[in-house]
Amino acid sequence: MTDWLSSRRYKTSLDVVEFTLFAESLGWGDGLPLVPPTEERVQEYVVAGRRFPDEVIAILPPLRSEATAEKIAINAAMAGAPCEAMPLIYAAISAMAEPCFDLAGLNATTGSVVPAVIVNGQQRHDLRIPFGAGLMGGADGYAPAIGRAIRLVMRNIAGQHVGTTSKSVYGNPSRVAGLVVGEWEERSPWAPLAARRGVTGNAVTVYGAMGSMNVCDVVADSADALLDVIGASLAYPGANGFLPSTAFSEALVFINPVWADMIGRTYPNIQDVQQRLWEQASLPVDSFRPEYREPLTKLGHTTPDDRIHLCPTPNDILVAVAGGEGGLHGHLIHSWGTCLSVTSAVLHE
Amino acid sequence: MPSSSAGIVLDPTSSLAHDLTSSGPDVGTLAGKVIGFRIDMLWRSWDWVTDIWAEELRSAGAEVRFWRSMARTGEEGDRMRAELDAFLNSIDVAVVGLANCGSCTSWTIHDALSAAERGLPTIAVATAHFEDLAHNLARRGGRSGLRLHLLPYPLDILAKDQVHDIARRQYRSFLRSLGVHDRLAELPAV
Repeated sequence: MTDWLSSRRYKTSLDVVEFTLFAESLGWGDGLPLVPPTEERVQEYVVAGRRFPDEVIAILPPLRSEATAEKIAINAAMAGAPCEAMPLIYAAISAMAEPCFDLAGLNATTGSVVPAVIVNGQQRHDLRIPFGAGLMGGADGYAPAIGRAIRLVMRNIAGQHVGTTSKSVYGNPSRVAGLVVGEWEERSPWAPLAARRGVTGNAVTVYGAMGSMNVCDVVADSADALLDVIGASLAYPGANGFLPSTAFSEALVFINPVWADMIGRTYPNIQDVQQRLWEQASLPVDSFRPEYREPLTKLGHTTPDDRIHLCPTPNDILVAVAGGEGGLHGHLIHSWGTCLSVTSAVLHE
Repeated sequence: MPSSSAGIVLDPTSSLAHDLTSSGPDVGTLAGKVIGFRIDMLWRSWDWVTDIWAEELRSAGAEVRFWRSMARTGEEGDRMRAELDAFLNSIDVAVVGLANCGSCTSWTIHDALSAAERGLPTIAVATAHFEDLAHNLARRGGRSGLRLHLLPYPLDILAKDQVHDIARRQYRSFLRSLGVHDRLAELPAV
């Protein structure tokens, strides 16, 4: 059995505390306790992922190294992720390596970005991926361990290290345990996000996520009022999409199920929701100082109504239903650079 | 008390096996060469530096071409890949910049490695704060010997005439970094 794993072996203590100290001394860790990736444990992960150990799942920058099924399994084992999550982890990493995701830039940037993973399909239930109350952090379930597995892959396989290959000025809280959330499909008046992007069933959508922001509203009594406040909240001058050096950007909007009910009654077609958000997610061209206005105009970002929109088209605003039934809050995540989200199927069989 | 039981664990890291430490071919003489500047949509200071260097290179008998890198994803990214390919096919020497932020350093080195892999005399240009990142990315890209020329940091907050002065002052050292063999580059320092 042991000869199918080709990684270098180290003899060390298997006590978690002692192993964590050992791993930190070799630069493998993130400061949290690590599970020793013994051969037997890693084999379980490889088997659960249904891939040959030497299968290359992705080439990951900045190291441009081969992320094999075995290497990913070792990191997932160290993170304490459930074995059953391996297909999801493989799919997410493979999606992040798509050229349009610009992982080479994302992993090196001064920006505070982390690849978020939005999960659709039955696997949300099987893997206890949160999509209701507290989904962005604090809810029960395996999302932090799964997210951490992906983050350790970025550290140990992609070679993303703060100060050497990552110049992120602030980092991001989600760079430790990732950001893995589900969509509350059962409470959505619209088709699931992944299905709208061409993938039905179990799927992941990876998204270059800058810091998240909350939108609170206690007054709105209509879909239009809610969408106007959400859309306008997206449009702040320092957002990625308004940078004079960003050719285009996306935005991600989480709508809680209470608001989704109200919005869905007025707008059963998701494209109408995106259109309304897109219209509001804009600023008057005159609100920018001339030195900003000129390059933004050169990029063709000014529309005939003399506004500059955060995103080029309504379709660039991704909408998902998730959050607690307490309502009152929406959640917004701006994108980074010209990173484009990627949706991939997760093959559990 | 922690258990002291020992066992075997597996290495979670990957590494790149190959590395080229050569800086690649020198430019030699400038006259008659086509020098290609890769500029970007981010840094006006890099536009100002290359304006000065292009003027000097033309005076030395070289032809100068520019290619501006824009968004690198989606349809525009596809167009950029095709344009970069055509640009690199049209030049004798590649000057690639500017590594002045995390992601733009990544793309600067990416494009410089593409040029170097074709055998072109190639130099990446970075500001001092991003020197380590540029070297790291070049090494991790398999070419630790990639030539790198450094400009001061911060650069982009300086006025145009200040940046022009820096470009003029650094022109000779830029030529030497690039492996130019001519009177100006080889003149002893004063």
